[in-house]
Amino acid sequence: MNIIFKAMDKCSFLLKIIGAVALTCMMLLTVVDVIGRFFKHPIFGSVELVGFLATIVVAAALPYTYKTDGHVGVEIVVRLLSKKSQLIIDLFTRTVTLILFMLITWQMFLYAADIHETGEVSMNLEFPIYYIVYLLAFGLLIFSVTIIETIIKDIKLFNELK
Amino acid sequence: MSPTIIGIIGIVIMVLMFLTRMPVAFVMASVGFVGFSTMISSNAGLVLLSRNVYEVFGSYDLTTIPLFILMGQIGFNSGISKRLYDVGYKFLGSTRGGLAMATVSACTAFGAVCGSSPATAATMATVGLPEMKRYNYDDELSTGSVASGGGIGMIMPPSVVLIIYGILTEQSIGQLFVAGIFPAILITILFIISIYIKCRINPEQGPCGEKFTWKEKLKSLLGLGETLAVFLLVIGGIFIGLFTPTEAAAIGAFGVLTIAVLRKQITWEGFINSLMETLRTSCMVLMLIAGAVIFGKFLAVTRIPFEIAGWVSGLQMSPFLVMGVIILIYFFGGCFMDALAFVTLTVPIFFPVVMELGYDPIWFGIIIVMVTEMGVITPPVGINVYVVYGIAKNVLKEEIPLEKIFKGIFPFLIAVIIGVIILMIFPVIILFLPQLMY
Repeated sequence: MNIIFKAMDKCSFLLKIIGAVALTCMMLLTVVDVIGRFFKHPIFGSVELVGFLATIVVAAALPYTYKTDGHVGVEIVVRLLSKKSQLIIDLFTRTVTLILFMLITWQMFLYAADIHETGEVSMNLEFPIYYIVYLLAFGLLIFSVTIIETIIKDIKLFNELK
Repeated sequence: MSPTIIGIIGIVIMVLMFLTRMPVAFVMASVGFVGFSTMISSNAGLVLLSRNVYEVFGSYDLTTIPLFILMGQIGFNSGISKRLYDVGYKFLGSTRGGLAMATVSACTAFGAVCGSSPATAATMATVGLPEMKRYNYDDELSTGSVASGGGIGMIMPPSVVLIIYGILTEQSIGQLFVAGIFPAILITILFIISIYIKCRINPEQGPCGEKFTWKEKLKSLLGLGETLAVFLLVIGGIFIGLFTPTEAAAIGAFGVLTIAVLRKQITWEGFINSLMETLRTSCMVLMLIAGAVIFGKFLAVTRIPFEIAGWVSGLQMSPFLVMGVIILIYFFGGCFMDALAFVTLTVPIFFPVVMELGYDPIWFGIIIVMVTEMGVITPPVGINVYVVYGIAKNVLKEEIPLEKIFKGIFPFLIAVIIGVIILMIFPVIILFLPQLMY
């Protein structure tokens, strides 16, 4: 089990770097495009590229954000409960989240396969969109595994509390 | 079962799930998916999930969010805030409560490069709290002014909440941005007045500071230059239609980064931290939008927003009264839920009502941000208060009780309420600038 977790940590670290690079590229690409436009040489298809990069940014950030509790929730009621009850509630909500994201991941792979088949390309660059959708699906997959990881950690913690 | 009943059941389940502290975004997506599947078909629900997530994550309009967050983060990790504070300090420091006034003004100035209210509060707390401590300011006034001033960062463009509002309601983000400028200045003035009154009543709250010569004062103004330049470029560029909001955000982020590098005020580590925090916050915000979009699709098929809109307009109540009720809902909602989350959740419900009553969509956007600004400083969920509490612990090495900070908030809360009333009576303060656009 630990080997898988270690591999997961590596994966999520790698994703973080990909996300950071994509974010920097997004900024630079847009700046160069705007400056180029003043000299009548905008970057062809930059709007599409920025959209692709944005997808990569979010897909790459999913596991990291979840692990560092980046998503906002309503804390005030749960905080009043005992540590043990909090863990039980967390286990429940994490499971619901896992089911939700397994469904999204599955559907995203299907969607990618679907547009792969129809050969849909982007409007200006004629770039095959399915690459991006596969990438997003992959990010979602890693994210789903991250949720499983936190669930296992919570179960361990729960057993220790007993 | 009628669609409306399914919708109401969905909303009730959603509220119950919120209480489990499950992330708001995931709750909205889950309830939206299950509800939509129940009403149409599970296949349609599944397709809805993947398509909407992909569309939100890859939307060009939404790319403006990570870029503006990056701009604020770089501003946070470089020395901009210190120079902004310095200007206020030199000009206002010698009057009673002047440092608190300086903090509030610096918050507004920092809000011009940062779109988030907790980030503004965190930045100015780091700079302002030690100074106010040095001049024996009461903790109540110092922490209260930082936490409340941070809220102005959300109204002063760029503003993440306004971007989300614009996208959910299909309004021009550029117009919303320029509409926020005067209200932000109005709130700053009201905050300064309330500090003045507080120090008149209790002079020991904010003793006078050092006096500076005019030469020193004018010299400090130079510190405003770069922030002003970036702000004029970014917001001015949007205003005259030179850039799209995304382009403006990229240029702003790049501009702030360039200044920080030239002044040697950002380390490699600081830059990496900015990127990481931007990834985290952007992912949170975009997930929230994806959740709201999925939930919104479900709401639309239940027809609840239209039913409410029809019902309210059939009531023959004065629009002013209805608006008052909506504002109260936002105020109390903001007390229990994160401002951003609450706006994404409720705008699809209330927007049709407000349009039905004949209010201006841009005006309503600014009013919502103003009201949720109260939410970020009121108990029990006032996020800014917790941010300031945490920073006070770090930089002052002492614990300031939460109750004390909440008590310090009070005069500012009254100022915001007065501000909202002024804006309701004189909508022209909001609408004047956007009407000049293109």
